[in-house]
Amino acid sequence: MSYQHPPQVRRVLESLVPVVCPPEAMELGLGADIVDHVALTMSVVPPLFRRGLVLGLTTYDVSAVLWWPGRGRRAHRLPLALAERWFARWEHGPTPIESELAKAVGQLLKFGCYEQPAMLERLGYRPQQWIDQVKRRRLTVYGDDVRRAEAAILAPDPLRPRSQKKERA
Amino acid sequence: MVALPRTALHQDRVPDNVSTRSTLHGDTVLDADVVIIGSGAGGATLAAELAEAGLDVVMIEEGRYYTTRDFTAEASAMTRQLYRDGGASIAIGDPPVMFQEGRAVGGSTVINGGMSWRTPERILERWRREAGLEHIEMPDMDEFFARVERRINVRHQDPETIGVDNALLKRGADAKGWKVIPNLRNQVHCAGSNNCAFGCPTGAKQSALVSYIPRALHFGARLLSDVKIDKILMHGKRAIGVQGHVVGDPATGPSGARGHRVVVRAKLVVSACGAIQTPALLARSGVRSPSGRLGHNLSLHPNVKLTAVFDEPVRGWEGVHQAYQVREFEGEGLLFAAVNIPPSIVAMTSHQRGAALGRLMAEYDRTVIAGMLCEDSATGRVRTISGRPQAFYQLAQLDAEKLIRGVALLSELLFAAGARSIVTPFAGVPALRSHDDTRALYTRTIKRSAMEVVTVHMMGTAAMGTDRTRSVTDGYGLVHDADRLMVCDASLFPTPIGVNPMETIMALATRAAAHVLDNLPRYQ
Repeated sequence: MSYQHPPQVRRVLESLVPVVCPPEAMELGLGADIVDHVALTMSVVPPLFRRGLVLGLTTYDVSAVLWWPGRGRRAHRLPLALAERWFARWEHGPTPIESELAKAVGQLLKFGCYEQPAMLERLGYRPQQWIDQVKRRRLTVYGDDVRRAEAAILAPDPLRPRSQKKERA
Repeated sequence: MVALPRTALHQDRVPDNVSTRSTLHGDTVLDADVVIIGSGAGGATLAAELAEAGLDVVMIEEGRYYTTRDFTAEASAMTRQLYRDGGASIAIGDPPVMFQEGRAVGGSTVINGGMSWRTPERILERWRREAGLEHIEMPDMDEFFARVERRINVRHQDPETIGVDNALLKRGADAKGWKVIPNLRNQVHCAGSNNCAFGCPTGAKQSALVSYIPRALHFGARLLSDVKIDKILMHGKRAIGVQGHVVGDPATGPSGARGHRVVVRAKLVVSACGAIQTPALLARSGVRSPSGRLGHNLSLHPNVKLTAVFDEPVRGWEGVHQAYQVREFEGEGLLFAAVNIPPSIVAMTSHQRGAALGRLMAEYDRTVIAGMLCEDSATGRVRTISGRPQAFYQLAQLDAEKLIRGVALLSELLFAAGARSIVTPFAGVPALRSHDDTRALYTRTIKRSAMEVVTVHMMGTAAMGTDRTRSVTDGYGLVHDADRLMVCDASLFPTPIGVNPMETIMALATRAAAHVLDNLPRYQ
């Protein structure tokens, strides 16, 4: 993985997990794993988008100092109730910059949260079992048809009469 | 243990005439009759047709060659590997539209739902009327559609693979008396694994990866994967080849290092890398359209999703993706379908957070995800900034109103099917719990910025037409005011088509191949 969160960004993201993700995520102790997953996703997004997110999260963190209810604290140091209010201010921010940043960060955290095996297990979501089952059934029931279709992929069927076929060197 | 039959073609190894980053040692220079950039619906189809006719074809693909056994249900890993920018590409506008492009051998056919529909006749007629295209109407196109359908095995789904979510969608449409039809999909006994968007793990979906590409390779084509083309080489107005470099593994992020150089010299150069990448490639190669329309005319088929919770178990991941389409409002440019997506993507695209998100997701196994496609009336633009494409798209007020109407109609259908509550794609709108709530949508003020809009259908940025002052290419994709340079992807569409575009792209590619073969001396 070529991207790793700067320490400041990591602290902000960890403070946002209880704000954005459902309480079960914290109960299961998944905060750090979710933030690690955000880094994985950020490693493949366009570089400009990634730089924008890092800059935006830093601004989100530092600008909380000027927010009177926060009493001079950065966003990652706010208690949960205030952290929720600060995030909500950005969600409904006066310009699209604030609201789009809150939306993008929220999406990254929610995606990371529901990629955690423990969260998927709580939902009873086990798609690989289903895939293995139907894959086996397909080959058992329709094996002959499958092989015929494979053979047809390679069967000659010229688009134009072969007289037009160019002689290869 | 019962021995199963061997799985499908090219499912477990990279074929011999495919070169990858691990076999491209040192700089590479090749000669060919035709070089095709992109291996998706357009590029692979054209490659197979021309290779079978005896032409020496080289396909170049930026993404990796994956085999069927690489495809799993791990949404995050698959998204990072198979989607450009991890699926997080954005068209800037109000609202921003998140769009997805495949970045793998087989292109977006590897990650699409496999819907295989002919271009509607009204669209072909419109192309004839508005773009002046000849031999484009159904009697002329029929043979090309039929050929594509044979090659990718376009069929209805085996009934036993239709899951509860699709059965509920049909139940709702039937209750409303609305037209609902079984989908046509490119598949050989699709097993209903519902993993289409992350690569078919059974090989049943006849994506280009397991259909046209094996065919092209069988008839002698060569394929270079993991190679990004920087520019088309031009000699005056004649395209004479392409130049690019080997790229790193997208799953591990950009390495920053440029790999070995790759040059392919050819008598015909084809850009088939999709409606976002093609205009950027042409622009950074110095190709200028006399029409000034290169990169313009971007259509997106804006798409929204609803999350409907039922009392009964649904388990939407068990059964085929999109078994039916509701066509009642096709005339208005609206299509509805059940489109199950994994929990992480449901959560990501939901406006809920915290405990509210937890409550919504706790009912995931009783949830139907229903999607709506909208034939758009506005167009956007792809600009090339520092060599990279950036899409800009402003949702028209008319289309925004169409989306609201579509969400209301689809909600009516889902309530008729027995839904208990429905979460809309509109931020600030509480979950719908009754028909009254649905009706209230029509009178509620919903800002465009509150809409969660996504798409996978990008079209129109190098549009065909006979008038070189209004179009980028001629009716076969040959770029006006350039020689031996062709476009072969959804960029060519003069207008949006209102249905899934794969089969249209493949049919146009087949038609373009026939045109090349009919005029071979021109390319000697």
